[in-house]
Amino acid sequence: MKLARRFLPALLGVAALAAIPLVVKNSFFLHVCILVLMWTVLGAAWNVLGGFAGQVSFGHAALFAVGAYTTIILYLKGGLAPWWGIPLGGLAAAVVSLPIGFLCFRLRGPYFSLSTLAVAEIVKLVALNWESVTAGSVGYLITSLPPLSILGASVNWEGKVPFYVAAAILTVIALAATGWLRSSRIGAYLVAIRENEDAAEAVGIDTVRTKALTFALSAFLAGMGGGFYAFYFRYVDPDAVAGIGLSMEMVFIAVVGGLGTVGGPLVGAVFLTAVAELVRERFQAGHLIFYGLFMMLVIRYMPEGIWGRVRKIIDGKKGGS
Amino acid sequence: MALLEVEKLTRNFGGVCAVSNLSFSVTEGEILGLIGPNGAGKTTVFNLVTGFVRPTSGAIRLDGRSVVGLRPHAVARRGIARTFQIVKPFPGLSVRENVTLAAFLRHPARPEAEAAAEKVLERVGLSPRVNELASQLTLMDQKRLEMAKALATEPRLVLLDEPMGGLNATEVDVASALVQRIRESGVTVVLVEHVMKAIMRISDRVVVINQGEKIAEGPPAKVVEEPEVLAAYFGKKRVA
Amino acid sequence: METFAQSLVSGVLTGALYAMIGIGLTVVFGVMKIINLAHGEMVMLGMFGAFWGQALWHLDPFVSLVVWTPLMFVVGMLTYRFLLRKIIPGGELNTLLYTAGLSLLIANVALFVWKGDYRTISLSYGMTPVRPFGIAIAVPLAIAFGLAIAITVALWLFLSRTNLGRAIRATSQNPEAATLMGVDVERVAVVTFGLGTALAGAAGVLLAPSLYLYPTVGELLLVKCFVIVVLGGLGSVPGAIAGGILLGVVESLGAVYVSATYKDGIGFVLFLAVLLYRPSGLFGVGK
Repeated sequence: MKLARRFLPALLGVAALAAIPLVVKNSFFLHVCILVLMWTVLGAAWNVLGGFAGQVSFGHAALFAVGAYTTIILYLKGGLAPWWGIPLGGLAAAVVSLPIGFLCFRLRGPYFSLSTLAVAEIVKLVALNWESVTAGSVGYLITSLPPLSILGASVNWEGKVPFYVAAAILTVIALAATGWLRSSRIGAYLVAIRENEDAAEAVGIDTVRTKALTFALSAFLAGMGGGFYAFYFRYVDPDAVAGIGLSMEMVFIAVVGGLGTVGGPLVGAVFLTAVAELVRERFQAGHLIFYGLFMMLVIRYMPEGIWGRVRKIIDGKKGGS
Repeated sequence: MALLEVEKLTRNFGGVCAVSNLSFSVTEGEILGLIGPNGAGKTTVFNLVTGFVRPTSGAIRLDGRSVVGLRPHAVARRGIARTFQIVKPFPGLSVRENVTLAAFLRHPARPEAEAAAEKVLERVGLSPRVNELASQLTLMDQKRLEMAKALATEPRLVLLDEPMGGLNATEVDVASALVQRIRESGVTVVLVEHVMKAIMRISDRVVVINQGEKIAEGPPAKVVEEPEVLAAYFGKKRVA
Repeated sequence: METFAQSLVSGVLTGALYAMIGIGLTVVFGVMKIINLAHGEMVMLGMFGAFWGQALWHLDPFVSLVVWTPLMFVVGMLTYRFLLRKIIPGGELNTLLYTAGLSLLIANVALFVWKGDYRTISLSYGMTPVRPFGIAIAVPLAIAFGLAIAITVALWLFLSRTNLGRAIRATSQNPEAATLMGVDVERVAVVTFGLGTALAGAAGVLLAPSLYLYPTVGELLLVKCFVIVVLGGLGSVPGAIAGGILLGVVESLGAVYVSATYKDGIGFVLFLAVLLYRPSGLFGVGK
């Protein structure tokens, strides 16, 4: 019974995800759903580190970029299909996160945040200037996707459905990973680190190792998000995948949705995408104004985020714990 | 045999000697008081023993095995727990969760950790407060929580940094009784404290340090009569 | 050799302006222990102030300093009083995220209103450089350098000679002791934030004739600013001056001798190295 209650929302969520492409035939709406799912993965990636462990990164675009470049280069130069390329992109980002973590985790609080900003800028410069690998500011373009057939039926890449399915799978992975983390001992350790790092060490928590593992998980998710981006938009260049704006959007999703919650990034991603789509019609780039504004409002009036507030209300009604 | 041995321990901070050539040992089962005037280096000794600060030179051994160079979490795993003078709870978490986090060290599964935490909370008298947020506790209860977190790591040796600082007379008595009960449960105690009355009463032995050096050692009643100690506390003129 | 001297001089001149931005950030950090991510936007506002002053009222950018500096001081005080004051007690991460939001907001409102075009300010006296000792120096940069020094000296006098200035320094060194000694911490915080913002705005005005201006320039400047204050030690004014000049020189020499494309990267690598090995700053004057 307890088990059922714990997994019921998850099962309902998966069912809803599966139902959307069956019900919705409008390709613009499906495109919006794909964006929401992609942002959910990225927000969840950031939230693992920033929300649970309290390590605010302003450089997650660097990991996204590593994933995007790895995936697209493996495809264009090695012919590796996206279903291999995307996880490998995540893996590459996780590997890159290790030295970054080794450097930046020596610093705490705002100092850590600043160092991640610097790392991201360095990664962007490398992407711009290491032309033999990254094609510099020109970037890479995918002109045709590999043939794929499932159960004998060949997949039509021109439609949105295959991308939707891929994004949905990534979302389930990201949310399942954060859900597992929240209920695990590691998750409790992360919260301890967020609350007081010295006290965490003092009670026997290996803060350095815990943070490094979490960073790797966070990087893996962000890298897969980058790999997905590369295939969906078929275009990767330094400005598109390594800009500070992208890092800030990941922060925004997690903060607005709810720091340290499992469902928060999904809520944040819906919010972010809705704002972007509503505003885009009227004025270009205007959505960033609203991102800034909402981030300030949320921190001022609802620091636990939208989903955090909802959970609080639900839990409050149940009578606490 | 000594449980903890500190030998020729030295730590410089940019030319200033915080601890200098300090040697002492702690016998299993005792309460050792570490006293000295403000800035004598007592907290630094705790930081050195628990791995928060690395010694410039010297040895620290638990049961004959060196703990120098271990990070704090590894020291805790070896069996040395500590409290902080300025309490460091996990402020946004419940009292129960605070202690459960510490109990994870010996009980990796949550139900066992929570059960262990429950027992420790009862021992320190925090059972009625388990669902409160740590940040909402009174100072006395925060000191209790600090001890509970240390005890939940199931240490062999616990270093208490001013567990009575800031408490009123009644609370000091409660805290003293608590410290004695910790020892009775088989945990060796090193105590840094400014409340002299309490430390004189509950310590089996005291080590007096001043400006990072040991100036006296022995049973409390004897040590307070030594001229060096009086000089350190009250200034040389009055003694001379 | 001549190239070396040339880039050294222009590095020092630009560095002094960087230093001013850095001082603004570091003073605020010293007193309030917050890192204001919207600091770069304050510089941007100063730059656009100078631009519009000239475009609309034919006001010389350097003369417009007397308008924009006090105005930015007020902007800073209002920002603290009405936006930040309630956020700071929520912890440093909340404050960091909040100022990140503020930075996004200001930059993109500016982008919306002023569009993303690159603008320049041209000055009648900016065309021909002066050439003392055969080193070419752009006149606007030289004037800006002189004014930056004057402003920094004025700030130094304020901090060391006035009661309010001393209160700010005392709070920066030891907030608890300052409170005990009767310093009105709230007032100190308002003034300090105003001061930091005014310095950023003034630096923006001074930089405007020498840089391209566009609404999102704050991002780049903020990152440079971090490099500076970390080099010098967060919270230290002399450190920010040294860090600013060092960054100016390193960038300028790096562009000539290493690679123009990696110019900005040199600063970041230096930044990371210092954060990791000397977190209290190169000159050890920080915490």
